[in-house]
Amino acid sequence: MNGFQRAGAVARKDLLLEWRGRQTVTAMVVFALLVTLLLGFALGGDSVRASAILWIALGLAAMLGAGRPMLAEAEGETLEALLLYPGSREHLYWGKCAALGAMLLLLWAALLPLAGILFNLDLWDRLPALLGVGALGVAGLAALGTLFAALAVHVRGRELLMPLLLLPVSLPVVLAGVRLTEATLTREAPGLWLGLLAAFDVLFLLTAPLLFEVLMEDA
Amino acid sequence: MRPVSGLTLLAAGAAILAGTGLVFGLILSPPDAFQGEYVRIMYAHVPSAATAYLAVGTVAVASLLYLWKRRPAYDRVAHSAAEIGVLFTGLALASGMIWGKPVWGTWWTWDARLVTTAMLFLIYIGYLLVRELAEDSERGARMAAVIGIVGALDIPVIHYSVSWFRTLHQPASIVRGDIQIAPPMLMALMINLSAFFILYAFLLVLRVRLARLEDARAAAALGETG
Repeated sequence: MNGFQRAGAVARKDLLLEWRGRQTVTAMVVFALLVTLLLGFALGGDSVRASAILWIALGLAAMLGAGRPMLAEAEGETLEALLLYPGSREHLYWGKCAALGAMLLLLWAALLPLAGILFNLDLWDRLPALLGVGALGVAGLAALGTLFAALAVHVRGRELLMPLLLLPVSLPVVLAGVRLTEATLTREAPGLWLGLLAAFDVLFLLTAPLLFEVLMEDA
Repeated sequence: MRPVSGLTLLAAGAAILAGTGLVFGLILSPPDAFQGEYVRIMYAHVPSAATAYLAVGTVAVASLLYLWKRRPAYDRVAHSAAEIGVLFTGLALASGMIWGKPVWGTWWTWDARLVTTAMLFLIYIGYLLVRELAEDSERGARMAAVIGIVGALDIPVIHYSVSWFRTLHQPASIVRGDIQIAPPMLMALMINLSAFFILYAFLLVLRVRLARLEDARAAAALGETG
């Protein structure tokens, strides 16, 4: 089994578990919907606010759900078993990151039509670009979310840690996502934001697996 | 007794420089053409911010060394620097607000460096919190080192993202030899900067020593009971 297969197996396992329970995704979708409605109502449903509200909803939902799969593993004491399998811990990271990314991308895909309806946006012909922007942002959120999930497993008051860490550290993702979504909706040039978001993704997709291995040494 | 004498030297250096800095900052430097006497807040604000960033750098380097060599000494340096960093970040934020009120007419603006510094403050509070919440101290040290490295990598990205989002902060006054500041003011600023840096070194050495004593006491207590 090579690294890709090993990461793929972990991702498939995470997604299959999620598919059977559908708890994390349901909670994230409902929470994101709630945040979108609340912010839309409180700030006014002006279409210029739509991208900011969407990305705040996505960021908050990621904060809520990113730690869940790994915590469930730790609670079920299956994390130790997973770590006993031969091979690099890095593949474990890639698998978990891919599964979390898929879940967040699904959430983003669900949020887009919702925003189209709630904020009266004409986004159908721009859907591929919007999904692309979402994928770039989701990559960064998943990269850090997976790392911090590994961190939260061995901490008292686990739920407290993810909001404290993920949100400030992934601020660039939210800001770049907001500006890129705005640019896509108004058909403007994305400018430097595309580069910034890509740089953020590359930076943490390269360093997070190494740091993940450090955290998983004796988990 | 040698570490004590080094410490005294640092304390004396910081005190003398801070005193000189006070004289330069409050008396010998002129008021600013636009900001008047308010410019003197700069002599406390800029060194606080610079010390905060120096502490963040120390945390990152010490964290990296800790993950590489696994010597508790590096972790003690990282932990101590993070505590002092949070302190100076708080001071920089507070003095910045006090300076901003008369000069910009507002306590807070949604400006790049303000928001970056506020985020830095939050990330390093998270860093200290992880240590407190960790199940055991060795694991806490490893987790904290991870956050120390992620935080330091993140700060430039946060800075650029926030500054492109919207910005109004006055451009940095001393940029690569292109000095746009009157010499007496620069003198006052430099003296205060060195005073803060030496104060930082003094606090760091003191805090690391405290951490070492705490670890030794914990080990001794463990030896007695076990």
